[in-house]
Amino acid sequence: MPRIVIDGLEIEVPQETKVIDAAERLGIMIPRFCYLKSLGAVGACRVCAVKFLQGPFKGVQMSCMVDVQDGMVVSTTDDEAVAFRRQVIEWLMLNHPHDCPVCDEGGQCLLQDETVSGGHGIRRYKGSKRTYRNQYLGEFIAHEMNRCIHCYRCSRFYQEYCGYRDLGVMQIADRVYFGRFQNGQLESPFSGNLVDLCPTGVYTDIPARYKVRSWDLDRSPSVCIHCSLGCNTVANARYRTVWRVEGRYNEALGSEFICDRGRFGFGYTNQPSRPRQARVDSRSVALSDALKSAAEKLSRIHAASGPRAIACVGSARNSLETQTMLKSLCDGLGLPAPCFFVNSQTEKAVKRAVASLDERVAVSLNGVAHGDFIVAVGVDPLNEAPMLALAMRQAHRRGALLVILDPRPSFLPAPHVHLGFAPGELNGVLGSLVGKALETGDEGKLPPLHEDFLKSLPLESLFKAPVNHGEELDVVLSALQKSRRPVLVCGSEIVRENTPSLCADLALLMRSAKGQCGLFYVLPGANAFGGALLSGSEESSFMEVVESMEQGCTKALVLVESDPFLQFPHKDRLKRAMEKLELLIVLDHLPSLSAEMSHVFLPTSTLFEVDSTFINQEGRVQWSRAVHEGGIPMEQWTEGNHPPRAHGAIIPGQDFKAAGKVLEEIARNMGASGEVSLSDPRFRPGKGASPLEGAPGDRPGDGMRLIPRESSREPFSAREEYFTFGEDAGDSLELLLVEALFGTEELSAHSPALEKVEPKPHMWMHEQDASMLGFSQDDVIAMDLEGGVVEVRLKVSPSMARGVLVLPRHHRLQWQKFRDISVRVPHDRMRKS
Amino acid sequence: MAYADLLPEEMRKQLIQRIAEGETAREQAIDVMTALQNHFGHMSDQAMLVASELLAMTPLELEELATFYNFIYRQPVGKYVIHVCDSAVCWMHGHESLMDHLLSRLKIRLGETTEDGLFTVLPVCCLGYCDHAPAMLVNRHIHGELTREKIDRILTRLAEEPHLPTGMK
Amino acid sequence: MYPQVLFANRKASRIATMEEYCRSGGYEALSLVVGKWTGKDVCAEVQRANLRGRGGAGFPAAIKWLGVPEEADYPRYVVANCDEMEPGTFKDRVLVHADPHMILEGMALTGYATGAEKGFIFVRPSYESSARILEREIQKARDAGYLGKNILGTDFSFEIVVHRSGGRYICGEATALLNALQGKRPNPVKPPPYPTVKGLWGRPTVVNNIETMANVPHILRNGAEWYQGLSRSSTSPGTKLFCVSGRVNGPGCFELPMGITLREIIEEHAGGLQPGCHYKACLPGGASTRYLTSEHLDVPMDFESVAAIGHRMGTAAIIVFDQNTCLVGATLNLTQFFARESCGWCTPCREGLPYLRDLLWRIEKGEGEEEFIPMMRAMCDQLWNAYCALAPGAASPVESLLTYFEDEVREHIRQKRCPFKT
Repeated sequence: MPRIVIDGLEIEVPQETKVIDAAERLGIMIPRFCYLKSLGAVGACRVCAVKFLQGPFKGVQMSCMVDVQDGMVVSTTDDEAVAFRRQVIEWLMLNHPHDCPVCDEGGQCLLQDETVSGGHGIRRYKGSKRTYRNQYLGEFIAHEMNRCIHCYRCSRFYQEYCGYRDLGVMQIADRVYFGRFQNGQLESPFSGNLVDLCPTGVYTDIPARYKVRSWDLDRSPSVCIHCSLGCNTVANARYRTVWRVEGRYNEALGSEFICDRGRFGFGYTNQPSRPRQARVDSRSVALSDALKSAAEKLSRIHAASGPRAIACVGSARNSLETQTMLKSLCDGLGLPAPCFFVNSQTEKAVKRAVASLDERVAVSLNGVAHGDFIVAVGVDPLNEAPMLALAMRQAHRRGALLVILDPRPSFLPAPHVHLGFAPGELNGVLGSLVGKALETGDEGKLPPLHEDFLKSLPLESLFKAPVNHGEELDVVLSALQKSRRPVLVCGSEIVRENTPSLCADLALLMRSAKGQCGLFYVLPGANAFGGALLSGSEESSFMEVVESMEQGCTKALVLVESDPFLQFPHKDRLKRAMEKLELLIVLDHLPSLSAEMSHVFLPTSTLFEVDSTFINQEGRVQWSRAVHEGGIPMEQWTEGNHPPRAHGAIIPGQDFKAAGKVLEEIARNMGASGEVSLSDPRFRPGKGASPLEGAPGDRPGDGMRLIPRESSREPFSAREEYFTFGEDAGDSLELLLVEALFGTEELSAHSPALEKVEPKPHMWMHEQDASMLGFSQDDVIAMDLEGGVVEVRLKVSPSMARGVLVLPRHHRLQWQKFRDISVRVPHDRMRKS
Repeated sequence: MAYADLLPEEMRKQLIQRIAEGETAREQAIDVMTALQNHFGHMSDQAMLVASELLAMTPLELEELATFYNFIYRQPVGKYVIHVCDSAVCWMHGHESLMDHLLSRLKIRLGETTEDGLFTVLPVCCLGYCDHAPAMLVNRHIHGELTREKIDRILTRLAEEPHLPTGMK
Repeated sequence: MYPQVLFANRKASRIATMEEYCRSGGYEALSLVVGKWTGKDVCAEVQRANLRGRGGAGFPAAIKWLGVPEEADYPRYVVANCDEMEPGTFKDRVLVHADPHMILEGMALTGYATGAEKGFIFVRPSYESSARILEREIQKARDAGYLGKNILGTDFSFEIVVHRSGGRYICGEATALLNALQGKRPNPVKPPPYPTVKGLWGRPTVVNNIETMANVPHILRNGAEWYQGLSRSSTSPGTKLFCVSGRVNGPGCFELPMGITLREIIEEHAGGLQPGCHYKACLPGGASTRYLTSEHLDVPMDFESVAAIGHRMGTAAIIVFDQNTCLVGATLNLTQFFARESCGWCTPCREGLPYLRDLLWRIEKGEGEEEFIPMMRAMCDQLWNAYCALAPGAASPVESLLTYFEDEVREHIRQKRCPFKT
C-alpha cells in the first residue's frame, strides 16, 4: 500500500486511492465541487488543486485526478495552490447570483462555504452576469440554473450512475445548461439525489422549498423504512414537522443515494389525517385511560375465554423494539405467537430466506454492485427495492451481466436479459441455468453432497419451458460459466415458498465451484427480517387467525401498526370476521379501516419520533434516532398563522407513545412478564458474539449483521420439492399481487408529494394473452370475483411471462375481492368494461 | 415510428440504412440531424423527435449534441445561412465593416433572418480560408476575398435565383 | 524552389487524379509494404525517419503507433484529423485539394502498421468540398483495389469513412474528436488511458493529422535517410506545410524544409509585407501560440528551435501583423474566439476566458485600468491549470502581448482609447 505525506502528515492508503481521499482520511478536507467518490473523478471544477512537492508529479495538480503513489509529498497550503483555488472561486462566482438570502441551499451550500472560507469577497469582474431560463422538472425538484457552477455532478449522476436519459448537459462554453429537452417531470425515480448532490442551489426540493432554513432544522441520522434495504438517511424537522429526508453514506450499502420513495415518502408523519387521539368505544380519551381500558378488556377476555382467544398481529413496518415487545407480551400472557405477515405464502418465503442467510454467502448492496454476474429471481428491483436496481446498474458498469428471471415486465435502468417466466417455472429455470453452467465446470472438485445436488438439477427445464429465449440463454450461460463473483438476488413476494431455500442451496453450490457466490434477498418491508425471527410457527398464520375469528374462537385482536385490509385478498370476508370480535385493539399512526373499527385505539409514534431499530433484508441491524418529539405540526395547529396565538404547557398531539412502550404498559397492567428482549440469543450476530443489548455504545448493535456464520438449516435437503412445475395455465391467469415504485407501499401512500407522481391503478398482461382475450392496451377490464367486481385499466407487454396477471396493490384500487392470495382468474371472469 | 413517418419514404429508408452502416447509431447523429435540417429547413423540435426515433436516442441526448455545434440550427433559419468568419485574419482584413455592410443591406441584426426568409447571418470562427480572407460560407459554399461589391453580387444572385438548390446547410 | 513532396502533384486549377498520383509513385509504398513487411517494420522505419506529428504538438508518430498494445483487442481504428480549426491554418484543406490519395495511402499504411482495418477522416463543416473530394476518391481507390477488402490481393483490408463534424474548435483535440466521432459531447478526456489503448468504442485508436499521414508513403518508399535529408533541422525531419496569412503580399500554403527561417518564409515565399506595411509581429502556429516579434525573425522553424526561444511552432500557420494593426484588438479577437469555442468542461476555460475577454475589451474601448495588467498576467498563469490544452493555448497570445507589447497595452489605458483608431 502506497504512503503519502500531506501537509507533513503521513498516511498509508490502499492502491488507487485518490490524493483527495487520502487527505480526507487525515482530516484535511480539500475543497471540491465536481468530485464525489461515488461518481468518480473528472477534474472539471479544478478547485481541489494542491501542490505536489516530491514524487512522480510536480507542481499544482488536481488532487482528485491523482492516485496516491509512494514518495509523494503534497502541500494543500502552498501559496501557489491556494492562489489558484482562490482564482477558481472567483471564476465560479462571476455569474453566481448571490441570492443566498432567498436560496433554500443557503446554510448548507458547498459553494457558499468554499467562497467564504477561500476569502473571496470583493468582486473585481465588471461584466454583467449570465442568466438562464429555468425549467419545470416535476413535482419534486425546483430548478434555478442561474446558480449553476457547472460541476457536471447532476448530469453524470443522472445519466451515468442511474442510467436515465432525460436530464443532461446542453450548449457550450459559458452557456452550458443542465436540464431537460423540454419541461416535464424527471423520469428517474432517483432524481431527488440531485438536491443532495448539487454543490449549490440549482436543484432544491419542492416539499421543503421556502419553508425552512437549514440552520433552523433539527437533523438526525435515520433509516429509510419504505422497503427492506434500509438505506441510511438524515431526517430534518422543525416546528413539529418533518420537512426533508436526505441520503446518508453507508459503506456496506455502498452509496449515499436514496430513491424518491424513500426521500419523499415521509409525509405520513405530518398528515392532518394522522390519528393522534386515543379512543375507547369511539370516545376520545387520554392515552393513559385508553391503555388502562385496553388492559382491562384484554384481561377480561383472557380470564373468560383463555389466552388462545387473543390474537396479536404486528407488521414488517414495526421497529424491532415493537416486535420484541409484542412477542414478549404474547409469551408472557400465554397467547399464540404474534403474526407479522398477512400473506402467509410470503411469510413462508421470508422465513425460509431468513433461515438460509449466513456469512458464507450473504452480500450487502455494495456486494451486489461488485458482482460480475447478477441473476435476480422473482424480484422486480426497481419497484420492490429501488436502490437494488441502482446497485445492479453499478455492477453492469463494472462489466457484469444482469439477468432478471421474473414474470413481470422489467424496467431496470441498465441493459439486462429478462427471462419472463411464471412463478411456478422460476425454480426449474434457475436450477437448470446453474446446473448447465456448472456441468462443464470443475464439479469434479465438489464435495459429494454438492455434487449430488448438482446432478439432481433439472438440466432440461430451462429449454422445455414455454417461452423460448434462444440466443439470450447462450449469452447468460457463458457469462455464468465465466463468472467469478456471481450474485443471486431472490425475492419473497411472488416466488414459491421454497425458492429462497433453492437460491441458498444454489449459492452454496456455486460457492463451492467458484470460490465465491453472493446471496441477496429482498423482503417485504423494512423489518420483515425481525418479523420472521420473532413470529411463531406456520400454524399461526394470519389466515388461521381469520378462520379462528370466523369460528368465534378468537375473540380479541390486537393490531400493532398493521392494517390487514391492505394485504388480505378479501376485504368483506375480513370485515365480517372482525365484526364478530368482542375486542379490537389497534395501535397505529396511520389512518385505516382497522383503526376506524377498533374498540380501543392507541396512537403511536412514527420513525421520526422515537429511537428505533430495524433489521434490513441482509440481517443488518440499523439504528435510527428520533429527530423530534412529534405533536401536531405547528402549521396545522395554527392553521397557517405564525406565531401560534394560543400557548400552553402541553404540546398538542403529543399524547402518544412508541408502540413498544404501549405494549409494555398493557403487559404491565395485565401482570405479564415477558422474557424476550434484545438480549435474546436470537439477536446474537454470530457464534460467540454478544447479543444486541450487550453491544457497546449508545446504539446497540448498529450495523451488525444478525446472521450466523453457517446456517443451521440442512442444505440440499429439499431437492425433490424444488422442481415440481405448477399445473398448466389452462383457461385462467395466475394472479400476482405486486409492489410498485409509487402507490402501493403502505407508508409512502400517505405522502402528498408522491401522490402527485404515482401512476393510476393498472394491471399487466402479456400481449398475446391480452389479444387472445380480445383486450388491448388501456382497456378497462372488469373482473368478476368472489368479492364483487374489480375494474382496472390494462397494460400489455411483450416481454413478460404468459399466463399471469400482474396487479400492483395500488392504494387507490379496491382490489381486495379475491378468494385468496394465490388464485387463478378464469378467462371467462374477465371482460372489457 | 410516429414522427419518422413525416419523412418521404425514400429519405427515411436512406437514413435508416445509413444508421445501420455505422458502428453505432450515435455515430451517425450529426449526419442524420444535418440531413433532417436540410429537409425541414432547421432542426425544429419536431425534427428532433424524428431524429430521436431514427437514432434510438432520447431528444435530450440529441439536444446535448445539437446545441454544442455551430452547424446544427435549433431555431428557424433562412434558405441561405451565411456564416461570416470573424477570426483574426478576416478581422484584420476588415471583417467588421463587411459585416456591417451585409447586415445593413439585409436590414437585419446579427443572428436574424430576413423578412423574406431568404437569409440568416451568423458569426463563425475561422473557416480555414485565411489565404482568401475575408471569407464567408453560404450553405457550406465558401466565398473569399470579399469586398462590399462582391457581397452585393452574391446576395443579388442568390435572391434572384429562388430555384437555386440550397444544398447542405 | 525546394523539393516538393506532399505538393509534388499540386496544381493551380485542379485536384491531382489517382492516375497522376500513381505516376508520381503513389501507392508504391502500399504494394512495397503490405503483405511483405510486418506492422512493426513499418513503425520502425517511420520511427527511424522520426516523423513528427503535424497537428501542432510534434509528437513522434511511430511512438504513438507503438502505444497500441501488441496484444490489444480488435477491431482497431485509425482516425485522420482533418478538422483544422486553428485560426490561420488551412494546410489540410490545401492538401486534400492537391493530392487526396496521398492521405488515403498514408491512412492505409498507418492502419497496416497498427493492425487497424477501419479509418475515419474527421472533416469540419466548412470543408464540405474536401469531404466530397475524399468520398469520391475513396471510392476510386476502392475500385482500384487500394482500399477495401484484400488490398492488392493480400489479406489486409482497410476501409475509410468520411465523418462530418458539426463544427467546433475543440473537436480538433484528439480525445474530444473521438468523443465527437462516437456521437458524444466532444469534451476532451484526460489520459490515461490513451486513445491508442482505449479509443473509439473502447478499442485502440490512432489519431494523426492528415499531413502526418501523408508523409508516411514517402518515408516508406524513399527511406528514412532521404526523409531526414529533406530538412534543414537536425531534430525535425522532412518538409512542412507552412500557411502564411495576414498582411503579406502572397498569402498561401507552402511546402518548405523544416528549419527554414521565419524571415525566409515571410519575405521570400509569402512575398513579403504588403506595400506600406512593416512587420510588427506574427503568430507562428495559429491562434494558440505566442507572438514572435521582429527580433525572432531568424528563428529556424522547427519544433525544437522555436521551443528553444520559449515559443511553440504549433501548426506552423503564420499570421503576420503589421505596424498599423492593434495587437490589443487582435488579442481580443483571439480571446473571443477561444472563449466562444471552450467546450465548457472546466472552470478556468469556461469562466476564465470570458473574464480575460472582458478585460481586453475594456482596454480596447478605453475603459482599461492599470490593475488589469497584473490581473491578466496572473490569470494567464492560472489558465495553465485547466483540464486540456485549450486554455493554455488561449493564454499564449495574451501573455505574449503583455510580454512584448506591454507599452501598447498601457497606451490604450493611458489614452482611454485605442491609439490605432482615428
